[in-house]
Amino acid sequence: MNRDWVLVIFAGILEMLWAVGLKHSSNWLAWTVTAILIYMSFVILIKATKSLPVSTVYAIFTGIGTAGTVVVEILVFGEAFNFTKVLLIILLISGVVGLKLVTTDTSNKEGAS
Amino acid sequence: MGWVYLILAGVFEVVGVTGMNKVAKDKNLQSYMVLVLGFVFSFSFLSLAMKTLPMGVSYAVWTGIGTVGATIVGMVFYGDAKDWKRILCIAMILVAVIGLKITT
Repeated sequence: MNRDWVLVIFAGILEMLWAVGLKHSSNWLAWTVTAILIYMSFVILIKATKSLPVSTVYAIFTGIGTAGTVVVEILVFGEAFNFTKVLLIILLISGVVGLKLVTTDTSNKEGAS
Repeated sequence: MGWVYLILAGVFEVVGVTGMNKVAKDKNLQSYMVLVLGFVFSFSFLSLAMKTLPMGVSYAVWTGIGTVGATIVGMVFYGDAKDWKRILCIAMILVAVIGLKITT
């Protein structure tokens, strides 16, 4: 695994952290940190896409963000585990990741990578 | 009201992503404005939505609407492929969003 993939995973983790910030910030310091996290996750993601296929990068990044927010919400913030809800979120993220990966296939055929 | 904010957040994410594509092609001020304003509004509405909706559902639906929106914009305005696999993925996302709306 090269260094750029590590960046993608790091950006995904930041994504999860700012989501917590958006939900739970209550003072200016927390909002500032949240804004910095959002900015950093974008900058790192864009840096990673300079050398990796954009669609795959985005699929992994958003997958970590989605799974991460659901898990953190249940484990850290005591949200009840709801089977239907988790199943629907898995369906949703499968659609998002599928869309990104199918799109890579088409752009590869045009000789992008 | 949470769901209205969430849908607006998704719509503005599409604006932001459109800006990102513009910046990739042409690094002028207008492209950066679309990018920055799109995401500022998107995150603001997402934050408002999260005041009443669970974080996991909000984040997932926000990403889902953003992705579907950007894909449809690509299909309609930029002549991107409209093959069945992409349509199936869009349908999966929409079914999930509606399901989450009903159950949340």
